[in-house]
Amino acid sequence: MAVKNDGASSKKSFLPRKPNFSIPARREEKLALKLLLPTLLIIGIIAFYPLAHVFYTSFTDRIFAGREETNFIGFDNYRRLLSVHIATLDPVIDETTGEIVVDPETGEVVYERPIDILPREPIRFREVNQFTLFGTRYVVGATDRNFVLAFSNTFIFTVVSVFLELVLGLAIALIVNSKFRFRGPMRAAMLVPWAVITVVSARMWEWMLAPGRAGMFNAFFDWLGVVERPIAFLAISTFQLPAMIAVDVWKTTPFMALLLLAGLQTMPEDIFEAAEIDGASKVRQFFTITLPLLKPAIAVALVFRTLDALRVFDIFQVMLGQSQYSLASYNYFQLVANRNMGLASAIGVLIFFLIFIFAISYIRMLGVQRE
Amino acid sequence: MKKSLKPYDILKRVGFNFMIIFVLLYLLFPFYWAVNSSLKTESQLFMTPATAVPRDPATLEFSPTLQNYSVVLRDGQFLRGLANSTIVATASTSLALIAGSFAAFALGKLRFRGRRPALYLILAMTMFPQVTVLTGLYAVITVLGLSAIVSMIFSYLLFTLPFTTWVLTSFFKGLPNELMESAQVDGATPFQTFRRILLPLTAPALVTTGLLAFIAAWNEYLFALTFTAIEPGSRTVPVAIAFFTGAVAHQEPFGEIMAAASLVTIPLVVLVLIFQRRIVAGLTSGAIKG
Repeated sequence: MAVKNDGASSKKSFLPRKPNFSIPARREEKLALKLLLPTLLIIGIIAFYPLAHVFYTSFTDRIFAGREETNFIGFDNYRRLLSVHIATLDPVIDETTGEIVVDPETGEVVYERPIDILPREPIRFREVNQFTLFGTRYVVGATDRNFVLAFSNTFIFTVVSVFLELVLGLAIALIVNSKFRFRGPMRAAMLVPWAVITVVSARMWEWMLAPGRAGMFNAFFDWLGVVERPIAFLAISTFQLPAMIAVDVWKTTPFMALLLLAGLQTMPEDIFEAAEIDGASKVRQFFTITLPLLKPAIAVALVFRTLDALRVFDIFQVMLGQSQYSLASYNYFQLVANRNMGLASAIGVLIFFLIFIFAISYIRMLGVQRE
Repeated sequence: MKKSLKPYDILKRVGFNFMIIFVLLYLLFPFYWAVNSSLKTESQLFMTPATAVPRDPATLEFSPTLQNYSVVLRDGQFLRGLANSTIVATASTSLALIAGSFAAFALGKLRFRGRRPALYLILAMTMFPQVTVLTGLYAVITVLGLSAIVSMIFSYLLFTLPFTTWVLTSFFKGLPNELMESAQVDGATPFQTFRRILLPLTAPALVTTGLLAFIAAWNEYLFALTFTAIEPGSRTVPVAIAFFTGAVAHQEPFGEIMAAASLVTIPLVVLVLIFQRRIVAGLTSGAIKG
């Protein structure tokens, strides 16, 4: 960018200006580069160099904060993270009777043990999940079970929480956009969850979700009489992901609502008046006017939230520790607890590409024209 | 088309108010519950059923306690965390504002080759996943031998700087070109125009952007957790609260944690409420106008 150019004629073609302005123009260009320099320098040091370093390290077996020799291992880290194997499980046949064995207690068919089916070479595959499709039992195995789970956790978390935030945020934005007496205080209240530090909100919810009747939710469900005994929400895997989603939805729905509210407030009112005169119902107005006009605001809010949700770290790390991971918290775990810097870097690279793909496809799909 | 109130309209109004109350309850309840719990003693916390205000277990009279707060405030870790967070967030925000306003002036008001790529670069940086460079940044920090506080100040620029640059660029773009032209006619250099005329005009935008960047830095957890791992004295508030174990080692002291949570949240909420309008404007201009 900063190439010095002595030929004044070639410069003019870049900047279509009046000739007598050419000297200030060159000065302006110099000044612009000087002003941009600190920012570009900082971005270079804290983003580009580390990024290059991460790409390089992801092909090595480097140990974090250690003196061990580092070896170049090619794609081994990626192979370990991404190897997934799906195999069919056959029902167990009783050798004497030749019939399919059925569990006497549950009455369900007994299948082979996944550990006997999944490959062991070169690295052992571990069971991630089992499912039945068209009467056949399948097992999903992976060489890095936790990574596959972290990926699916992050994916489900992102899709569900962003969807709920959009729906709830839109509802709240529509409510606040209509005229009523406590509109001011309501808008102020919307900023409260946003202002709470994420780690703090995680601990607040951790306490509300506490096992035993001291936990607010358990006390509430007990009062309603819907549960027999208190539930340990954060220890039972079925409730872990929904709990994460609940915290995130609470924390960021207001942000979504504020973005959508800004979009709603730019809408000209006469369109709605015209629709009213034409006899369009409120519901019809919403679907034919509000929603299409709000599309750009929705698109931008979705991009922001999706990219944020994909890198979720704080609530997973604080509330679930090492029992369930998001992609980012698994990256942190591999780096700090396992000291496997090479593998952590490979996870970082995968997150980078995931977000990159999402950003590009989102902008294309929704036709977001920025700038 | 005004009609007299029909039962249907009354029902609609009741329903609407009910919805407002429900939304308010949803937004504020977790915070209320934290404050409520922070005012309870250990035995009050584990009363069944849980009470909506701190009550005496025997007489059920209203009896809040400030014991948790005094424990938290006497705990060195928490206060130190507050000091660390203040230093880190202030320094990082100031650096981001200085470098960001320079860059934003260039991007928003000056004509130069490479302006468009530079703009896209900044935009791309606002979406950059910080976790990706975690290992690489750590390597840079080890090579340079930076302390945890300094490393946090610099690494937070990863998100504060693109944000301030992006928002301020759109602000500079919105200022009328005539301002610059007339200053130029009066013989001012572009930099003088920037410093004497445009920068004072951007003061409100600087406050808003700075506040948002400050909150983002105050909130940051991943880098703080990683960089203070071997330097516990440099822990910031989020890390201190995540690790909070209380004065005595027993099961998680939630009363004290909630007291700490309330202590760090209340000032922030007050700040946010004071700057309410500007924050909303800043958030939406950062996101929507781009």
